[in-house]
Amino acid sequence: MRLGWKNIVNDRVRFVIATVGIAFAAFLMVFQGSLLVGFLHAASRLIDATDGDIWISARGVVCFDFSATLPRRFIDIAKGIEGVESASRIATGYAEYRTPSGKHQVIALVGSDAGVGRQFPRATLEPNGSVLAPEAVVIDSSNVGVLDASSLPQEVEINRRRATVLRTVSGFGSFLGCPYVFTSYQDAARYLRLDPEDAMYILLKVRPGYSPEAVRQAVALRLPDVDVWTRADFARRSQLYWILQTGAGGGILIAAVLGFLVGLVVVSQTIYATTMENIEEFATLKALGANRWFIMRVVLTQALFCGLIGCGIGLAATGPFVSAIRNSIPWVFTPWWLVALTIPPGLLMCGLASVASIRTALRVEPARVFRV
Amino acid sequence: MSEPNLSVRGATVYYGHGPARRRALSDVTLAFEPGSLTLVRGPSGSGKTTLLSVLGCLLTPDSGWVYVAGTNVIRLSEEERTAIRRRHIGFVFQAFRLFHSLTALENVELAATIAAGGRRTRNASKQLLARLGLERQFHQKPDALSGGEKQRVAIARALINRPEIILADEPTASLDSASGEQIAEILVDLAERDSKTVVVVSHDERWLRHAHRVVTLEDGEVKDETWPQAAHVRNLPVAFC
Repeated sequence: MRLGWKNIVNDRVRFVIATVGIAFAAFLMVFQGSLLVGFLHAASRLIDATDGDIWISARGVVCFDFSATLPRRFIDIAKGIEGVESASRIATGYAEYRTPSGKHQVIALVGSDAGVGRQFPRATLEPNGSVLAPEAVVIDSSNVGVLDASSLPQEVEINRRRATVLRTVSGFGSFLGCPYVFTSYQDAARYLRLDPEDAMYILLKVRPGYSPEAVRQAVALRLPDVDVWTRADFARRSQLYWILQTGAGGGILIAAVLGFLVGLVVVSQTIYATTMENIEEFATLKALGANRWFIMRVVLTQALFCGLIGCGIGLAATGPFVSAIRNSIPWVFTPWWLVALTIPPGLLMCGLASVASIRTALRVEPARVFRV
Repeated sequence: MSEPNLSVRGATVYYGHGPARRRALSDVTLAFEPGSLTLVRGPSGSGKTTLLSVLGCLLTPDSGWVYVAGTNVIRLSEEERTAIRRRHIGFVFQAFRLFHSLTALENVELAATIAAGGRRTRNASKQLLARLGLERQFHQKPDALSGGEKQRVAIARALINRPEIILADEPTASLDSASGEQIAEILVDLAERDSKTVVVVSHDERWLRHAHRVVTLEDGEVKDETWPQAAHVRNLPVAFC
């Protein structure tokens, strides 16, 4: 539909306004979507990083970060259930972190056994090694500034006990406002003053050939006073908690919808103004014998042309912006599918924006072509 | 004399509602034959443009009948009247009504695309523009064309779908005398050589010496109808469609 796109390109100022509006809306949708996806990832990041097929938590635990204790003997009980290959523990809790300069920071301390998983951050002597460093912790690289740990190793105190920040890992930035600090299970239990008879999370690996769900049911039957999850279910539970129950996800979702609406209004106004400016041309088209579908296509082409160019610019701007903002929001994440998913609503937005214009163009009286 | 392919019978058109309602056409009956150029004249407000709108299926009369190529268009739906326009009628407007974002060639092609549903029409459009002396203006936009050139592009657009009927509203009003004369000759030639039914609405007295027939409207009624001496037979080098 040459007429459609030529009309819109012919008025460069209007074209720029339309594409900038759509670009902004597309950018806003992708960025808000990146916050949402990143938030979801971060909410279950530690769960996803483990190898455990089954998680056992105290009854009523809603997410990884707000844990509660359960009896340590449950580990032995769980180990005895058919299909369970091994069991390991994770402990987490909030602690006070203090540097030699006197800086205080509340941290989320996470301690884990060796069998939790190769991707899970642990304070080993060598990166990816298996020998644990005593009283050592690792932190996420995005928290170096907050934890005053620019030169490593760094001597610090956690709950007034000595610790050494050994090195940094990446991809484990916290969205809670207080950084994750990783250590061994034994050190975490000591720093958090965990009772030796208690545990927090028990992770079970299922023997090959056994169904995790079947084993989960067997564990739940044997341990009726705790919650037993598959890893995926516990990850989903954590995500739902942060998204739905805290309102944080709702806020991000609303911002994404607002981005869509802003774009809708901008494109509607631009397309409508273009249609009204060319209303005589639509009357001429009708006089020349153009049917309704032809006229609709002209308007839709204008809208979709603006939409494609605007979406392209908006999406292209998202990548560099997200990279730049990762310093302050380390967990923001833009998967490729989010970019792809933004295009249909972007084009839908343009389609919706052209509805009023199409109605106006279709209603124009063709006899007005004789007016001068 | 050929059979008329365009006619109105007892056409009456009202504008407005209530006390503001006024009659723009009053029981007008006229027929137009192929091969003739009819000039419709009259003072402002006499109903000339309303008549042209009725003839062009752009306006449905409140009473009376309109026949285009043998079809009574009064009972047709808007889509059907649109199809009648597409197939049988070409328009030439005083204000040219060219699409300002398209080149001369694209303007002609657009009309062909509307009728042909997307078939390639570039060569036919080029040929038509060339025959109207616009081969150098193919790729110029209307803003870069003179008034006469614009009107010739508009005529090419009206002719590209080979309609039997050409309706022209003040086609020379915006043109200088030389360009106006050229346009008049083209339209006369379309009637005489190509047997088109040409209806021209104009205030321009120069048309009197080109028209085969002159209809004078006054207050929406046919006041007078004359057949002046046949228009000059010209040996124009151009044959259209």
